[in-house]
Amino acid sequence: MECVVQGIIETKHVEALEILLQGLCGVHRESLEVHELCLKSVPNLGLVSSEVRLLCDLAKPEPTWTVRHIGGAMRGAGAEQISVLVRTMAESKVSKNALRLFYALGYKLDHELLRVGFSFQFQRGTQITVAVSCVNKMPKLHATDDAVPVTPGIQLVEVTAPASSENYTEVVAAVSSFCEYLAPLLHLSKPGVSTGVVPTAAAAAASLMSDGGGTTL
Amino acid sequence: MAAMEAAAVAAGQDQQPPAKVVERLNPALQQQLNLDSVKTRAISLFKAISRILEELDAIARANATPKWQDVLGQFSMVNLELYNIVEDIKNVSKAFVVHPKNVNAENATILPVMLSSKLLPEMETEDNTKREQLLHGMQGLPVAAQIDKLKTRIDMIGAACESAEKIIADARKSYFSTRHGTNLLPTIDKVQATKIQEQENLLRSAVNHGEGLRVPGDQRQVASSLPMHLVDVLATNDSLQDSSGLYQKSTPPLMSTTAINNQGSLLQASGAQLIGRPAASPSGPTGSNSFDNNTTASPMQYANSPRSGANIMNTPSPQQQQSQQQQQQLQQRQKMLQQQLLSQQQLRPSSMPVLGQNQLTQLHEMPSQSQQKFQSMHGQHHVQFSQPLGAQQLQSRQLTSAAMQHMSPNQMNQGNQLNRQLNQFSSPANSALFNAAQATPTSQMIPNMSAMMPSQSVMPRMQYAMSGANRTLPPQNLSDQMFNMGAANTGGGMMQIQQQQQHGAQGAFGNMQQSSQNMQPGMMTMQNTQQNHPNFQQQRPQNQQ
Repeated sequence: MECVVQGIIETKHVEALEILLQGLCGVHRESLEVHELCLKSVPNLGLVSSEVRLLCDLAKPEPTWTVRHIGGAMRGAGAEQISVLVRTMAESKVSKNALRLFYALGYKLDHELLRVGFSFQFQRGTQITVAVSCVNKMPKLHATDDAVPVTPGIQLVEVTAPASSENYTEVVAAVSSFCEYLAPLLHLSKPGVSTGVVPTAAAAAASLMSDGGGTTL
Repeated sequence: MAAMEAAAVAAGQDQQPPAKVVERLNPALQQQLNLDSVKTRAISLFKAISRILEELDAIARANATPKWQDVLGQFSMVNLELYNIVEDIKNVSKAFVVHPKNVNAENATILPVMLSSKLLPEMETEDNTKREQLLHGMQGLPVAAQIDKLKTRIDMIGAACESAEKIIADARKSYFSTRHGTNLLPTIDKVQATKIQEQENLLRSAVNHGEGLRVPGDQRQVASSLPMHLVDVLATNDSLQDSSGLYQKSTPPLMSTTAINNQGSLLQASGAQLIGRPAASPSGPTGSNSFDNNTTASPMQYANSPRSGANIMNTPSPQQQQSQQQQQQLQQRQKMLQQQLLSQQQLRPSSMPVLGQNQLTQLHEMPSQSQQKFQSMHGQHHVQFSQPLGAQQLQSRQLTSAAMQHMSPNQMNQGNQLNRQLNQFSSPANSALFNAAQATPTSQMIPNMSAMMPSQSVMPRMQYAMSGANRTLPPQNLSDQMFNMGAANTGGGMMQIQQQQQHGAQGAFGNMQQSSQNMQPGMMTMQNTQQNHPNFQQQRPQNQQ
């Protein structure tokens, strides 16, 4: 299970966001470069077609593969009140044969994307990961070198935290309290709920860039 | 006498004037300042300061950090009290002169300065310059005019201060209100807002649902150069057709000519792939190479099966070589036909045998003589077996029977080998199939049939998985599977299965239901087989008899 919120930020404010996150998290940023392949099974393989994502981490010299299955989100009145999406998620590291295996099992490539950016992983009540990335699409199949951003001026911010059915309320609380710190720069919401940009982002970014971090505008 | 009287009077008068002085002072200044209260307050202030000093001294002695909060609080109290006293005295300072009671060494030098009313020289010059600045240009005027001008100046300064304070208050208000989300914000103009909204929707849908990222099938061509991390992941052989997951390889010889369903070949190819190089899959150049190596040596060479050396198949090597040649020919034919196959995505009757046979023909040896043996053993089945097959499938048939032969005498060994290979697949159906085969010693064919039947039902399901269009399973396919399982007296079972098939195989479930009884033991074995390899290996010694 995981708790997840998403938000968008204009590319020009990403640096300010990085400074803010650096201060909030206290850890160093890790660069993020993930080639995500979304595989879908043909409909007659099961009751419904299932989807599986294969993530190849290209940041390190040796690419590592991870398989991830994203399940349904929590529903109900309680879920409506939470501002964070709680959904089932199973993840595992796999060997690089995973892609071939899934093809053999009957999955087909539905779409692929490339995320390039950075992430912070830290502990604040629970383990939280904040990933700021530019989402790229590939005009030709698997051509990660030719990837172009889906939206050049906007990047995606994703805050995720692993949870279990016992402790998800605390995790939700930790994530939402952390998200409040980012309020000057961006709004975070459940995936699928659009937020728009924050009007104070420019001012907040300017203040972050000029005062903190020692960087000059 | 008079002097004494005068002195006494003077003394008396002296006493009185002080008393009178006190009295005279008090009424005039009592309203303004109560000297007694000032004295009391001064004394209390003195005591407070001395107390603070003692505390600080104690802290300093103990080298402890003082509680700055408390210290600052005490200081502020003292400060306030002093301020009040000074304010009060300032009002009447003109009427009083402060002088020390005793003039001693420390006072003597400073006393005249303190008692003088004239300013110190520096203070005097400073005073003069300030006065000069203030009354610049106004000294000639009468005093009243000077006063007016100074007043206007004061008013102007006052007005400027007030406006500045107002601006600061407004800014503070707006700042705090934005934090609470009111609309006193720097707004983004509508056009920009809508543009950003569109972009945001694009991005969110792309990330969460993949909208806008799907490349249509016809445009899906693998880039000329795959990125590094995909180079060795995706099939490097020529047969990587399209990245939709359907890729063909030089499939096992069973695939030979016509109807190699792409999806059927998927499994086979993947089987060949996944089995890896050492497992001599008859398909693929690499497979053939390993095939050669393995088959020439001994049937069990490639597998680390504990059975190796035990009841290994009795297939003579010339037959193996012959089958090798056959397979190589088949492979060549397959390569030629691959193009055709790519375009042919039709269900063909041979798809099933391909599938089943592929699984079974993971074994590297497929002697052609096995078919003959097969005929001797299962005559009637053989008839059924060969009827629906065309000439094109003859070889595949042979291979099937070859596989069968492997199964029949030394089923367990073969099963083990197959299991080993197939378990590399991590395909439950495959492992189920072969585990079922493995688990059944030759002498227990009939019970094993029931075990095989579940695997058979799994097989169709697998095929369904691979080829969505593969709905109809021709009977002979399943019968082939039965053969592959090496069922000895599986006539009854086969018929049953064929009937099931002819009922219109809608899915594995349909078959399963019909043969539920038989399935039960089979299911058990299936469950067993789907466990890890160690289980499987442990099963082997049990079955070896």
